[in-house]
Amino acid sequence: MSTSNLQIIESCIVEDDVQMSITELCHTTNADSELVIAWVYEGILTPQGNTPEDWRFSGDALQRAKKALVLARDLEINAPGVAMVLDLLDEISKLKR
Amino acid sequence: MKFKDYYEVLGVSKSATEDEIKVAYRKLARKYHPDVSKEPEAEDRFKEIGEAYAVLKDPEKRAAYDQVGSQARHGQDFTPPPNWDAGFEFSGSGFDGNYAGDQSEFFEALFGRHARSRQHQNINAKGQDHHAKVMIDLSDAYTGAKRSIALQMPSHDAQGRVTMQERVLDVTIPIGIHAGQHLRLSGQGAPGIGSGPAGDLYLEVSFKPNPLFRTEGRDVYMDLPVTPWEAALGATVSVPTPSGSVELKIPPGSNANRKLRLKGRGIPGTTPGDLYVVINIAIPPAESESAIEAYKAMAKAFDFNPRANMKGTS
Repeated sequence: MSTSNLQIIESCIVEDDVQMSITELCHTTNADSELVIAWVYEGILTPQGNTPEDWRFSGDALQRAKKALVLARDLEINAPGVAMVLDLLDEISKLKR
Repeated sequence: MKFKDYYEVLGVSKSATEDEIKVAYRKLARKYHPDVSKEPEAEDRFKEIGEAYAVLKDPEKRAAYDQVGSQARHGQDFTPPPNWDAGFEFSGSGFDGNYAGDQSEFFEALFGRHARSRQHQNINAKGQDHHAKVMIDLSDAYTGAKRSIALQMPSHDAQGRVTMQERVLDVTIPIGIHAGQHLRLSGQGAPGIGSGPAGDLYLEVSFKPNPLFRTEGRDVYMDLPVTPWEAALGATVSVPTPSGSVELKIPPGSNANRKLRLKGRGIPGTTPGDLYVVINIAIPPAESESAIEAYKAMAKAFDFNPRANMKGTS
């Protein structure tokens, strides 16, 4: 095993400081743009802007898109199903508080 | 490297049909889904299941895997024979990139090269983004910090063998991060393709377990043990908070589980979180003669029945 060391790297908090285009969100999550578009029309993700090219996703979308992708890819759930599962998961975490 | 028996992982026989494999996978994927499962190690199991399914659902990969795995058993030490995959041609996109980064060393050794070698040389594109999880101290979120983070990733040497490479990154942790959020380290992902820029590295942050504090988003919770007389009469006590000790006024008549809010003393930020101190009444043991007398005197002094509102008691 080899070890390499680098200089100090600045980081930023995605959820607070980052806005993403659909291209960036797809690149980061490995989701297809068609999936992301379907999720937006289902209300799973709520970007600002009117058309996919103008969409700006807040950093929170990253986590949500990652969860949605796991549901869509591994359980083959369609967009309305993903929306419902995510709503129920939100509800569960609210109840746990 | 240990051999992975993908049939055993999915709990199916070696002669299972594609449908049987699919059903077994679906069942296990629901059971170990990391967002819902209460099973310990759910996430690791989920990845293992996904990896097994990625191989067994694909007739080409399954055939290749059966060939190499015919002699090996689960958990056994295993090295793929040289050129084991000669004669197999993996069609299509090989593996669909979605699994990149989640694959085990074993998987990479068998199929990794194919996943990588399909990149076209004459295009320019941003390198893949990498994802990892890190644990930090709660105090880092209060003050900001510089931390060394060691990440391991499989990489391929000139012969195409898989080696684990450790990379140590000195990272600034910004003030105000909380569990579940991500840090983005620009340009620290995979190198770009052609003249494309390098990908980014995303670190999902969680807090190391802390004996005093727990967090919910930006809010921080702590239990504060107080004596019965402090709770009844009120008191000012010294409380260790993540941002230093404070003198906290306990109002008279504070019952157990009463929450005292210290506004803005949660995790800092543009809208800082709050710190909630949860009152926990600690009963002194009735061990000495005088302690027993004191409890008896209390019983005499109070006309108090905490069960007055319960049915069946008097």
